[in-house]
Amino acid sequence: MIHAQALTKRYGAKTAVDDIDFTVKPGQVTGFLGPNGAGKSTTMRMIVGLDRPTHGGVTVNGKKYAEHKAPLHEVGALLDAKAIHTGRSAYNHLLAMGATHGIGKARVNEVIGLTGLESVAGKRVGGFSLGMGQRLGIAAALLGDPATLILDEPVNGLDPEGVMWVRRLARSLAAEGRTVFLSSHLMSEMALTADHLIVLGRGRVIADAAVADILAASTRTAVHVRSPRADQLAQLLQGPKISITTTEQYSLTVTGLSAETISDTAAGAGIPLHELTTVGASLEEAYMDLTKDDVEYHAGTTTTEGAIL
Amino acid sequence: MSATTAVYTAPSAIGLTAAGLIRSEWIKLRTVRSTIWSFAIVIVASVTLAIGLSSSASDVARTIEEQAAEALWVATFGVYIGQLVMAVLGVLVISGEYGTGMIRSTLTAVPKRTPALAAKAVVLFVASFIVGAIATFAASLISVPILAERGVDVQFDGAFISRLLLASLYLALTSVFALGIGTILRSSAGALSAVLGVVLLLPFLVFQLEFAKADWLRALPPYLFSNAGAGMYTGGVFEQWQFFLIVVAWTAVSLGLGALLLKRRDA
Repeated sequence: MIHAQALTKRYGAKTAVDDIDFTVKPGQVTGFLGPNGAGKSTTMRMIVGLDRPTHGGVTVNGKKYAEHKAPLHEVGALLDAKAIHTGRSAYNHLLAMGATHGIGKARVNEVIGLTGLESVAGKRVGGFSLGMGQRLGIAAALLGDPATLILDEPVNGLDPEGVMWVRRLARSLAAEGRTVFLSSHLMSEMALTADHLIVLGRGRVIADAAVADILAASTRTAVHVRSPRADQLAQLLQGPKISITTTEQYSLTVTGLSAETISDTAAGAGIPLHELTTVGASLEEAYMDLTKDDVEYHAGTTTTEGAIL
Repeated sequence: MSATTAVYTAPSAIGLTAAGLIRSEWIKLRTVRSTIWSFAIVIVASVTLAIGLSSSASDVARTIEEQAAEALWVATFGVYIGQLVMAVLGVLVISGEYGTGMIRSTLTAVPKRTPALAAKAVVLFVASFIVGAIATFAASLISVPILAERGVDVQFDGAFISRLLLASLYLALTSVFALGIGTILRSSAGALSAVLGVVLLLPFLVFQLEFAKADWLRALPPYLFSNAGAGMYTGGVFEQWQFFLIVVAWTAVSLGLGALLLKRRDA
């Protein structure tokens, strides 16, 4: 359980995190989403006490992180993949980290096995690829078998197999009742991994809801309808906050109504439907909707619909 | 999630202990190459210089005091090089962590921060002292037969042994002084310049200015870090213990300021 209250971080005149409140609950994967510079990493660093909040605070399991007697057993954090001395081997890095908490060789070898680093554990970290660095960072986060995991961009630099592995790992850790908080800029990744999303834009929380709710609330959720009496159906469906567009004859695209409602309305009026498809607003689109006013760095004016973030 | 979902509780564990922190810092110190290289250079330089100096000693007749002074000079000449190596090592122990990002792992494991620095200082101090003692005693032992041929009888009496130990102690304090500067400045380049400036350049500058009229400037040299360090084992205008206190004061200020900044700054 992570609980932030009025959490604020300013760097001079610039406000990186602006008076945010949120709670990350155990037993589910909570995704932390936001454009570059939204304040995700700063927030995560404040949770483990690396950055000092300008105002407000954040607790982990009821206490400030630094006040726990065994911090590594409370929180395992992967903040940036290469927070590791490049001249030391992976094994010795983990051994030194663990030694602070009396965690010995057995557990070090266990997390090396868990993260698939056996073949490179004896090599110096300086020669590691980004992917291996990520695995080592995750191994370090798991070292204390912690109740809370904070992973900043854990799939960064991983190959597809590694991405699948992180996804399964996050889900299984949450299923054990742990708190799993992970940031990613890959919306598709979040759709597959997270149960709950906290979306940050310009240092403020702009959404804090279940993934399904965020998808449903998106204005881009559309239903594609084909019917020989499309014009008549369009009349019946009209209402406030509902938009109906006709792209071709006998065909409608409706936003603001669920497929169920449209189907019921059609059935009630005896209008036959030849097609009724929910055009799945992707999480990516939902996210674009949420953050369009809060993006710090716009990529000029050439951005088109569905552009890759 | 349903209300029946189990909430995972961290296993009851030992948690942070002083012994654990020291063990961790010891693992860190011995598992990077710069440590091995530094310690090897201190010992090799000390022994090589002792062989060279004792071999080139003249065989004029000496008083007992002169013999003791010659033996000490040969045994501790390597400290001039050793202090520079220990200064570099002391800086790298912390600036290497800032440079690689390791510091964030360290401070996540030890969020109260100052205990991690304290453990670093203890480990570095003890390791440097032992290496310094090996270097000075080895230099002294190897020079015994060579000096004997030149009429110098090396007496391993209490006074001589305590001087060798004080030279080792100075090397250990140098590494901890440098650790403090490294913590204050964080970058390897900046901290190395600062430490070598204090150890090497400052005595030279003040020596150049000694002819200035100001009395305080003429009184300054024995208070400088490396001059006081040499005074610890050779003596001089002050008692050896007074020189020791001067070096301890430099080290305490450096490490204390480092600890204060480490605690306050974002990592």
